[in-house]
Amino acid sequence: MSVYLSKKCFLVTTLFLVSINLKAQKLKFLVPDAAVVQYAGSIGTASAGISYDLFKNKRGNLDLLYGYVTERKGGAFSTLTTKFNYRPFVIKAGKNLIIYPINPGAFISYTVNKDFDLTWDRGQYPKGYYYWSEALRLHLAFSGEVKIKTLTLFKNDQLKSVSVYYEINTNDVYLINYVQNKRYLHITEIFKAGIGIRVSF
Amino acid sequence: MNRKLRVISFIALLFLLGCTDFEYSPNQIFDKDSPVDLNAKNLAKLNLAINDDTLKFIVFGDSQKSANELDLFILKANSIPKVDMAFLAGDISEFGLLLEVKWAAQQLQNLKMPNFVVVGNHELIANGNAVFKRMFGELNYSFIYGGVKFICHDTNSREYKFNGEVPNINWLSKELQQQTGVQNYVGISHIRPFTSDFDSNLDIAYLYAFNNQPRFLASFHAHEHTFGDFFPNNSRVPFVVTTNIGSKGFLLVEIVNNKITYERISF
Repeated sequence: MSVYLSKKCFLVTTLFLVSINLKAQKLKFLVPDAAVVQYAGSIGTASAGISYDLFKNKRGNLDLLYGYVTERKGGAFSTLTTKFNYRPFVIKAGKNLIIYPINPGAFISYTVNKDFDLTWDRGQYPKGYYYWSEALRLHLAFSGEVKIKTLTLFKNDQLKSVSVYYEINTNDVYLINYVQNKRYLHITEIFKAGIGIRVSF
Repeated sequence: MNRKLRVISFIALLFLLGCTDFEYSPNQIFDKDSPVDLNAKNLAKLNLAINDDTLKFIVFGDSQKSANELDLFILKANSIPKVDMAFLAGDISEFGLLLEVKWAAQQLQNLKMPNFVVVGNHELIANGNAVFKRMFGELNYSFIYGGVKFICHDTNSREYKFNGEVPNINWLSKELQQQTGVQNYVGISHIRPFTSDFDSNLDIAYLYAFNNQPRFLASFHAHEHTFGDFFPNNSRVPFVVTTNIGSKGFLLVEIVNNKITYERISF
């Protein structure tokens, strides 16, 4: 057991050291550009993860997030999310302040739970009995973001910027419900909110 | 800031702030304002009512994806005089999700008469089971009103991989025992026996359980999205199926002097 533990310790330490050195090496692209924490937003009571900048203008990002819904908030279960986001409009509100008023995005969330199957059990159901996935949801999102450029504000090259974003999203099955009940449901009823902080380094 | 961006920001702000409901997951079991124990609350309401010698109730089913038609149904149901109660015989939702069940439950509050929701196969996927239990109550339940015992139960065998426990024959047999104050028995469940989604090993036991109680009048079902009356194996007891709400139909049932009649109503 202790041999196993020490091996594990060694592995973790090595990985840690390797990750520090990565920035200077070829695998630099693996080092995330930002860290994200989020409250609600349909992927957990709280979620957190890493983010990569996309495109030359860095207006896109890809987030990988782990979330958890607590029992007190209607869980308990975990979620894994891959989120893409793009910022088409930029407002320079001050020397160190940038506003991205509306950013379209999309994400896939996976609910990790034994009662949630990715695909339907073929032994249990005839083909096409249900047509959607229980565990996977495809979301469509819009967010607004305010970014403080800490790099120039505090002359800190370790911490480039801190942003706060507010995001609304809907998903495949909510959209199906909306389309089928258009006269009854208002579009705002299928959009749900979340709020988060993004720290770029 | 140029004018175009100002307009975009303003619209964006309005749009984003228009939706302020924080959601933890579409799969969450409850939220801060989702209702609880609705079947028990409706039973309390029913027990306050004064019953005459005619018992009249509605059986409707499969209201999923049909919120518009559900509104029309509610209008029609409310226009029929002296209806004691209504039963939704399963599939209140399509995906078994909290939000769908909550929407439908809110709509059902517009029914004038007390109403009871029975579990359908679509409520047993994802977290639907837990959502149902919290919002409506047990999956197998019964109550007595006007001398009639209503036995509402889970017959969605396929969702349990035909494990031999659904429908629960032991529970049903106990519920069907002779009881003082009960002149008649009625069953309500989603899937009828002798169909592919009902546990074929339990077809006969289920049929006997009902036929062995001479005061059992009829068993009502939904799931098939079409009306039907069935008497499998020369059953004395009729197995009566209502159509789905999307097809704009339901059953109006009357019990007078230990006799049951049912009528298909369109709206």
